[in-house]
Amino acid sequence: MNKRILIVDDSFYMRTMLKNMLTDAGYEVVGEAANGAQALEMAASTTPDLITLDVILPDNTGLDVLKNLRQIQPAAKVVMCSAVGQEVIVNEAIENGALAYIVKPFSEEKVLEIVGSALQNNDSEQSA
Amino acid sequence: MKTRDQEYRELFMAEALEYYDSMSRHLSELERNPDAVPALNELFRLMHNLKANARAMGFNDLGEVAHHLETLFGLIRDQQRTFSGPLTKVVFAGVDALGNMIRAVGAGQPLPDATALLDNLDRLVRGEEPVLEAEEAPESEEEANKKMELSDLVYIQVKKLDNLLNLVGELVIDRDRIMTLAQELDNPALLATAQHLFRISDDLQYSVMDARLVGVGVLLNKFPRVVRDVASAEHKEVELTLSGQDVQIDRNILQIITDALLHLVRNAVSHGLETTEQRLKAGKPAVGQLTLSALTERDDVLIQVRDDGRGIDTEAVRRKAIDRGLVSASTAATLNEKAVWAFLFEPGFSMAQQVTDISGRGVGLDVVKLALDSLGGQLRVESELGVGTTFTLVLPTSIAVKGALLVEVEERPYAVPLLHTDTVLSLHPGQISVVGGVLVTYFQEQTVPLVPLRLLLYDEGDGPLPLATRDDISGPQQVLVVNYNNRRLGLVVDRFIRQQNIVIKPLSKPLDTIDLFGGVTLLGSGQVCLVLDVPALTRLFLNKRP
Amino acid sequence: MAEIELAATPKTERAKPAELVQLIVFRLGDEDYGIRIEQVKEVTVTPEVARMPKTPPFIKGIANLRGDIIAILDLEERFRLRPAGRPIPERSYTVAVEAADYTLGLMVREVPRPFTLPLSQIEPAPEFVQDAGTRDKYLEGIAKLPEGGIIIVLDMRKLLTPSEVLRLPGKGASS
Repeated sequence: MNKRILIVDDSFYMRTMLKNMLTDAGYEVVGEAANGAQALEMAASTTPDLITLDVILPDNTGLDVLKNLRQIQPAAKVVMCSAVGQEVIVNEAIENGALAYIVKPFSEEKVLEIVGSALQNNDSEQSA
Repeated sequence: MKTRDQEYRELFMAEALEYYDSMSRHLSELERNPDAVPALNELFRLMHNLKANARAMGFNDLGEVAHHLETLFGLIRDQQRTFSGPLTKVVFAGVDALGNMIRAVGAGQPLPDATALLDNLDRLVRGEEPVLEAEEAPESEEEANKKMELSDLVYIQVKKLDNLLNLVGELVIDRDRIMTLAQELDNPALLATAQHLFRISDDLQYSVMDARLVGVGVLLNKFPRVVRDVASAEHKEVELTLSGQDVQIDRNILQIITDALLHLVRNAVSHGLETTEQRLKAGKPAVGQLTLSALTERDDVLIQVRDDGRGIDTEAVRRKAIDRGLVSASTAATLNEKAVWAFLFEPGFSMAQQVTDISGRGVGLDVVKLALDSLGGQLRVESELGVGTTFTLVLPTSIAVKGALLVEVEERPYAVPLLHTDTVLSLHPGQISVVGGVLVTYFQEQTVPLVPLRLLLYDEGDGPLPLATRDDISGPQQVLVVNYNNRRLGLVVDRFIRQQNIVIKPLSKPLDTIDLFGGVTLLGSGQVCLVLDVPALTRLFLNKRP
Repeated sequence: MAEIELAATPKTERAKPAELVQLIVFRLGDEDYGIRIEQVKEVTVTPEVARMPKTPPFIKGIANLRGDIIAILDLEERFRLRPAGRPIPERSYTVAVEAADYTLGLMVREVPRPFTLPLSQIEPAPEFVQDAGTRDKYLEGIAKLPEGGIIIVLDMRKLLTPSEVLRLPGKGASS
C-alpha cells in the first residue's frame, strides 16, 4: 500500500527536504544513504520500491551506483536527482535504466509528480 | 515550536558552513598540489551541493557563485584549465565570497554583491583573463576571526547515539559493581569516589537519554495526510485534532510504535467512526472527531487515539472470540468488558465485517500488542457503545532504564519489569485454594491463579503442568502478582531480592527465540540476570494450565 | 647521509609456499579438535555462566563476554564425548567463535593452542565417521599430523546455525 522509498543524496539538507515531501505525501522513506556504499547496502536491506539517486556522490558517481543498484535491486525504480548542468550524466543514467530525473531545486509538486509516475510505470496497483 | 522553514534553514546553515570548511581545506591542498584529483572532485561535489541547496532555499546569488565555481572546477578536473596564475586568485576570492554570503544568511543580513566576481568567473570559464583589482588590503584580524564560526547544530546518526547509550549502560553496570565493592570493603575514600562516580554517571546517562529525545510531533504530524486518505477512501468525514506534539520521547521508541499507531488510526477511521448517514441517524454531528494526543504521566509517555464513533460492541467481540475458539462459551460468559476487549489484540482477530483495503488485509490489531510488548509498554482501552473509543499506548520515555523487581528462584536471580507487576503478597496456606488442579488466591475480589515460577521455567515438554495439590504448599508463599492484558497471574518465587533500575540487554542469537526472556541485565555483583517477559510467561501458563 | 640505493631484488615468486591454515586446537573428550582462526574471536577463561531454562542440556547457559551476552555451549555434551565420571573442571576456557551475526562460546577443559599446518594436510572428512548424524555434519576435514595424531577440523558456520544450536530442546528424548 505505502510505497517504500530510499533516498540517496550526500546533502543532509536535501535528504531532509525530500524525505519531508515524500512522507507528507504518504510514502514511506525506508532509508537515507549519503554515499554509494551506503546506498547499495541499504537498497539490499530495505528492498525499496523506488530510489531517488543523486548524480554526484562522494565515493563514486551516481552512475556507478545506478549500475550496481540495477544489478542488486532490479525491481527498484530509480529516479535521478540532479542540479542543472549535469544533463550528460542524466542522459547516460536514463540509458542505464533510470526512469526519470528531478532537477534541483525542485518543487514539491514536481517531485511528487515524477515519483508518482515512476511508480506507476509497469505497476498495475492503483492507490485508492 | 520550530517550523519546518526554520528547520530547513538551520540544516542549510549547518551544512553550508561544513562545506565551506571543507572547501578551504581542499583549496590549500590544491595550492600544494594543483593536480590533486580527489581534492578537485570534492570541490566540484561541494560546489554542486551548495548550489543545489542554496537555490532550494532561494539564495540565488549564493547559488550562482557556487554554480560558476562548480563549472570552473569541472574544467580544471577535465584538464581544460589549470589551477595556477590569476585563476587561483579568483577561486580564492570566490570561496571567500561564499563564506561571507553563508555568514550573511546566518545573520539574516542581505547577501553581499558578487557581480564583479561572477564576471571574472565567467571570463575564466570562457578562457579569458580575469580583471584583477590592485592588491587588496590584508584582512583585518576581526575579519579573519569571523571565518572560524561553526554551527551550533550537529546532526548525528541514530546509530552513534545507540552506541553511546549502550556504552553508558555498560558504565552504569560497572558503577553499581564498584559501589557494591566499595560498600563491602568499607573504605571511606573509595566509597566517596564511588558515590561521586555514581552521580556523574547518573548525569551522563540522563544526558545521553536526553540527546535521543524527539518531539512526538515528528510522528503525529504525519497523520493528517493518512487520515485524509483513509477517510476519503471510506467516504467518511473526519476532523483530526493533534495535541502534545512537544512531548519528548526516545526516537527509537517512536520508530517502533509507528506501525502500531498507523494501524490504530486507520482502524479508528474505517471501523470506529461511522458514515455521515449513520452518524446523523444516531443524532451525532455529521463530522467524526478523531484526536491524536500525547501526554506524560509520571515517567511514561501516553499516546492516545480517541474517536467519537460507535464504540466497541462487546457482545460481538465475545461471540467472535468463541467462534474463533479463543475461549470457551462458558468462560466467555464470565469475562468482563476489559477482558473481552483484550481479544481484539489477539493475532488474526479482526472485527471488520469486510476486510477493507485501507486498514485490513487480515492484519489485526495484534501488531499493536507486539510493538508494545517489545518496548515493555501497555495498552489501555476505554470504550462506550455509541459514544466512542480511546486507545492509549503507555510507553516508556526512554528505552535504556527500566524499573524491575528482582526475585530469586533456585538461587538464581530473575528480573520482572515493574510495568507488568501489580503487587507482591506473602500468603499463608489458608489463603490459597486449589481449583481444578490450579492454585488460586483471592485478591481484590478477583480470583488470581498461582503458579510456581520454578515450574513454568523448568517444566519440560509441551504437556500441561502437573495438577497442583494442597500438599505442594507448606509455610508462607511469596507471590508476585503480574498483570498482562488485564490478566493477573501470581508467580510463586523463593524470595524477593529488591527493586532496582536495570539496563536491559537484548538476548543475542540464537537464544533470542526463547520468548520467555525479554533480555538480560547485569547486576551490581556482576551476575547475569535474566529478565522475564510477563506476556510470554502468561501465555505459557495459559497454554499449559492443567 | 648517504643515500642507499637498494638494488631491485628480483624475488622469484615461483617457489610459492604451500597455503597455510591456522587453527585453534582444543581437546574434547580424548580427541583434538580445531577451528580455523578466522572463525575465532577470542579465547578466555570461562566467565560466570547463568543457566538458561528452556534450552537443551548442552547449552550451559549465558555469560557476559565484554558486554556481549553470549550462549555457552558444551560440545563434549553435544557430541557425547565426555568420558563418564569426568566433570567439567572448575576453571575451564571458552573459545568465542563468530557466526555471521552473533557470537557463541565453546567451553573447553584445557587452554586451546594455535597450530599452523599446510592446507593440504586437511583431508575431507570420510563419510563413515562414527556417530553419523551429529558430528560429521560439522566437519571440514581431518588433519593428519606428521608426528602422529589427528586434529578434527570443525566448520563453525555449519555448527552455529540457530536451528542447530537449539535443535531438539529435550523433546522426545526426555519425555
